[in-house]
Amino acid sequence: MARHIPAWLAPTSLEEALELRARYGEEATVVAGGTFVGILMNQGLLQPAALLTLRQIPQLAYLRIEDADASGQPLLRIGAMTTHRALERSPLVQRGWPVLAATFALVASPRVRNQATVGGVLADADYASDPPALLHALEASVVARSLQGERLIPVEELIIGHYETSLRPDELLTEVRVPRTMEGAVYRKFRSRSSEDRPCVAVAAVRRRGRLRVVVGAVAERPQYFPEICALAEGQAPIEAALAREIGERYAAAIEPISDARGSAHYRRRVIAVEVRRALEDLNRIIATEGGSQRHA
Amino acid sequence: MAAMEIHFTLNGQPVAVQAEPDEMLLEVLRRELGLRSVRETCGLGICGACTALLNGQPISTCILLAPLAEGCDITTVEGLGGRHPVQRAFEEVQAFQCGYCTPGMILTIKALLEEQPEPDEETIRRALGGNLCRCGCYLKIIQATQRAAVLLAEERRRQVERSAASTS
Ligand SMILES: Cc1cc2nc3c(=O)[nH]c(=O)nc-3n(C[C@H](O)[C@H](O)[C@H](O)COP(=O)(O)OP(=O)(O)OC[C@H]3O[C@@H](n4cnc5c(N)ncnc54)[C@H](O)[C@@H]3O)c2cc1C
Ligand code: FES
Ligand code: FES
Repeated sequence: MARHIPAWLAPTSLEEALELRARYGEEATVVAGGTFVGILMNQGLLQPAALLTLRQIPQLAYLRIEDADASGQPLLRIGAMTTHRALERSPLVQRGWPVLAATFALVASPRVRNQATVGGVLADADYASDPPALLHALEASVVARSLQGERLIPVEELIIGHYETSLRPDELLTEVRVPRTMEGAVYRKFRSRSSEDRPCVAVAAVRRRGRLRVVVGAVAERPQYFPEICALAEGQAPIEAALAREIGERYAAAIEPISDARGSAHYRRRVIAVEVRRALEDLNRIIATEGGSQRHA
Repeated sequence: MAAMEIHFTLNGQPVAVQAEPDEMLLEVLRRELGLRSVRETCGLGICGACTALLNGQPISTCILLAPLAEGCDITTVEGLGGRHPVQRAFEEVQAFQCGYCTPGMILTIKALLEEQPEPDEETIRRALGGNLCRCGCYLKIIQATQRAAVLLAEERRRQVERSAASTS
């Protein structure tokens, strides 16, 4: 049987890309950095009629600070085709959103980060990626564009299941918007195998305007957030040791962890309790010492 | 759709090659251009045996769709000419056994030292985190990186001296 060879669509403007996206829909696989797409093709798991690359669209790779959002806070706008490496090395991001720069620097190896994009890692919705949990905790949103116009989707509502997003087949993810971290933010990546591996358990903890938001990644089909557990820390800064432990234990009990090569459900549950507690301890320390944000590997 | 033509710069020379849109750059470099320093091992972006530099930065050619190289500057270890300071350091320190991982290591280290001429050991380990050596030469590879940093610094000093001599 003759092998089907996909068409290569390489638009040079966003307008052209949106037209192709509308015309082909699910027939064309979008290619950003192509790391995930490349692996699927190598393994024969993906045979699309066409490949639609965004690589030739320079207007999709940028990092900009918008003066202020409705609440008077600056907003970071990241073009979907910005690579992990460009983000992690940007002085703009390192200064204003250090936890973001540090978290992207924890992804895989420099090779993957040179290729993988900020839009790709979100559109991918892989349960074992690092940035989604952090971006969820930071209350980031994405811009989804189509010929019909644009929608602003909170990351929390973008990733809806295992490799599943709420993007429509005629939409492209064009931008990620990240509000200022405020009081403090931490990200902890717990690996069970090797330094360049994906996380076994990932914990992002952010405090904004006195409210705590803890999001646990890599343990279930999508990032896990329990507002009612976080509410226990309402008005508590610093979070005292017993409360940090309690929040950790409650997260561990609330999550139904998956089992995979990085750890069994039982193991993950125990690690979640410890890593959530440690994240809260880190957060206390950061807010006390610098009133800023930092990461912990 | 049939094969397409892709254009890029390979080791300083412009090239035009035939490829299919769903082929990886690795296959094209080996088949069309006869380069044997890029080696498929995992095919998953993990091991680093297929490393090339794309616009000066290491990437895995096994998961880079070939047409994405259009217009880019690609460097493989063949382009370093054999006497590059990182290559000399590998020889001096004997930082290999079978040599299978060596091209990927050398390119990754070259890119690291261009960005950070004096990396500490932790930085070196992090930069090489995605390059696996099945012979387990890691300690020697770290030593070779440190030695290469010294050789590159000497080379830069000589260049400065030469240009100072030629202008005086
Ligand atoms: C060896 C290896 C190790 C890794 N380790 C980690 C790790 O430790 N932590 C981690 O977080 N991640 C890790 N990753 C994941 C890596 O970061 C993802 O593969 C990557 O983020 C996907 O980005 P990409 O730009 O290459 O996406 P692509 O492969 O181009 O695309 C991914 C998916 O999203 C779709 N898509 C892409 N862009 C858009 C868009 N703008 N609009 C709509 N749809 C779009 C594509 O159609 C595809 O389905 C690893 C990957 C590899 C290969
Ligand atoms: S063969 Fe490409 S990274 Fe292993
Ligand atoms: S020297 Fe044999 S794999 Fe590294």
